[in-house]
Amino acid sequence: MIVLVRGRQVQREENLKIVDRLRALRETQIGAFIPVLLALVAIWGYFGLVIPLQDLLTGETENFRAIFLSPRNIYNLFMQSAVIATLAVGITIVLLLGEIDLSAAATAGVCAALLGVLVLTGIPSILACLIVILVGIAMGLVQGLLVAYVGIPSFVVTLAGLLGYQGLMQKILPTGNLNVGDPFIRGIARTLIPDLWGILIALAVFGLFAFFSFRKQYQRRSRNLEVDGFWVIWVQILVFGFIVISVVLTLNAYRSLPLLLVLLLGSTMLLDWVTRSTPYGRSLFAVGGNAESARRVGIKVNQIRVSAFAIVGLMAAIGGIFGASRYGSVSYTAFAGGSLLLEAIGAAVIGGTSLFGGRGSVWNAILGALVIGSLGNGLDLSGASAADKLMVSGAILILAVAIDALSRSSSGRT
Amino acid sequence: MTSKEVLVGQSAPSAHLVVRGVEKRFGGVHALRGADFEVSRGEVMALVGDNGAGKSTLMKILAGAYTFDSGNFYLNGKNVSIKSPNDAAALGIQIVYQDLALCENLDVAANLSLGSEPVKSGWSFLPKFIRPIDSLEMEAKAKKAIEQLQVRTLQSVRAKVGGLSGGQRQAIAIARAVGTQSTVVMLDEPTAALGVAQTKQVLEVVKRLRDTNHAVVYISHNMRDIFEVSDRITVLRHGDNVATYKTSDTSPDEIVIAMTSGLDDRSSSGSSSAT
Ligand SMILES: Nc1ncnc2c1ncn2[C@@H]1O[C@H](COP(=O)(O)OP(=O)(O)OP(=O)(O)O)[C@@H](O)[C@H]1O
Ligand SMILES: [Mg+2]
Repeated sequence: MIVLVRGRQVQREENLKIVDRLRALRETQIGAFIPVLLALVAIWGYFGLVIPLQDLLTGETENFRAIFLSPRNIYNLFMQSAVIATLAVGITIVLLLGEIDLSAAATAGVCAALLGVLVLTGIPSILACLIVILVGIAMGLVQGLLVAYVGIPSFVVTLAGLLGYQGLMQKILPTGNLNVGDPFIRGIARTLIPDLWGILIALAVFGLFAFFSFRKQYQRRSRNLEVDGFWVIWVQILVFGFIVISVVLTLNAYRSLPLLLVLLLGSTMLLDWVTRSTPYGRSLFAVGGNAESARRVGIKVNQIRVSAFAIVGLMAAIGGIFGASRYGSVSYTAFAGGSLLLEAIGAAVIGGTSLFGGRGSVWNAILGALVIGSLGNGLDLSGASAADKLMVSGAILILAVAIDALSRSSSGRT
Repeated sequence: MTSKEVLVGQSAPSAHLVVRGVEKRFGGVHALRGADFEVSRGEVMALVGDNGAGKSTLMKILAGAYTFDSGNFYLNGKNVSIKSPNDAAALGIQIVYQDLALCENLDVAANLSLGSEPVKSGWSFLPKFIRPIDSLEMEAKAKKAIEQLQVRTLQSVRAKVGGLSGGQRQAIAIARAVGTQSTVVMLDEPTAALGVAQTKQVLEVVKRLRDTNHAVVYISHNMRDIFEVSDRITVLRHGDNVATYKTSDTSPDEIVIAMTSGLDDRSSSGSSSAT
């Protein structure tokens, strides 16, 4: 038993090569967040500190660019990234299976357009939201059935879906644009949680996190199972607490915690729990890791596949509602025809979810979306051209996939 | 398919698991041509045959991993149908696959309970597949199963299977089959990747299973191992069974001859006519 407890530490010290260390790191729970967190810190550091410093040194006081880390910009950054993040969370689920969904943004577009039209016809807005969510699930479900039971590769099915749903969106919105003024729908993005409540929520989440961490540790010890290092638990709790509380304080400094973010983070928390702590989630990982093994232990592989695409449809519909709420309008270019799809897939992958299936988490998608959002926002602020934005995003994406590929190959390459 | 069953020294009056006339085709390949097979509780039945004889196919059919074209299955004298891995598991049939069938991205504990994770009580308002997994229970079970097998080199049940050696993986695959409630355990070449010491341990596990009144099927190409652990030996050739021998009444030479050329008196007419 002593060997069991100490084995991990010993192993950690023996691995000296950087790539090996990276691999070992990514195996751990918080380790999977480290690359994307570092990327985020680097980007924020560059736009928030390096550029203002440059301006200061060159005496450029005219348009001093120190606004990136201002509460106002952080608030906007979070709101800008919210739709990308919602889609990326959904896409993560199919990535876990080793599949891809290219139609998520188009699905979101159809749902948003439908929402706008339904609200115009006078249907109660809550009902309209529910209808749109069901439609989104159905759109994902159809694609999932084609992938699982007809056996068409998901790339092809969802590429066809992308085209078809783009066309469908144009059918629903012949003018390509529709204003959404409904107070309920606009309220999702406009409603702010009062400052005090925001802080209370943050403290409650932090407290629960700490409580569950310690309780798990205590239960492990009392059942004589191996325990994590003392400092690992503390670092985990403190980092988590720091992030949660500083985010809320920053948002409070400008406006307040928006309801939209609470909804996004709440649904992400729920999906994270489902994927990591339930038999269903376990089978997602199993199918992504080795579908034949999963089948042989009695997992209904096809049903799992279909359900994963349905979840993407669900998240796409929610993303569509969020988008309509935030922009106050539905336009073809904001969803189906624009860069939303690539940003969402990029966010999931940059977050650290493997394209090869079997590894990843929905929280990584949130962080990945922040990376993408920060890049766009920061480059905009520093006056970079659209061309620069595209090229930098491409480079970051390649970097993320390279990290994925390197940490994946566990065969002893030298 | 009439009188080919040459049961030399039939020991058990009624076997626990009996299959009759199993046929299986993979496209043009006739992998099983009406094979018969049986195993009793408290015995180790070795299944031997050349590469491609159909041993793994027969085991996979019994485990529900492959569907069969025709055949009859009896468990405890009752006619049963095995159409899926869940059917087999419900009947108490467990298997260690030749290719192990583990998920490399999951840890040891998760692999050991895959498909039958223990869930926490008190969540019965949710459907079973989205109730919270009792991960501590899962780890404790895994630790016990691994300790039973005495895999001393395995450091943690939270290690990802992808980072383990071939022998360790084999041990985990065996632990998975042995750990659950089962009456029939089938091991398809379980020692193929193992060193001498680990092979000995696996043979000990096999004997222990027999002593605990399991029906054990043991597939191997290693005659020494087979003669060490088995009580009876079924020889398979070209998807059909040649004969079943009592291990104490036969010799490795006789088995090898039966594997390669069938029974002496029928070797010319045996199974060469089908092609
Ligand atoms: N999935 C499959 N698809 C097509 N043919 C298959 C499949 N599985 C097995 N076969 C064929 O069925 C026959 C029997 O294969 P099987 O794996 O049962 O042999 P085996 O006795 O286990 O051999 P070995 O000792 O090499 O493991 C072979 O001719 C093989 O090519
Ligand atoms: Mg075989």
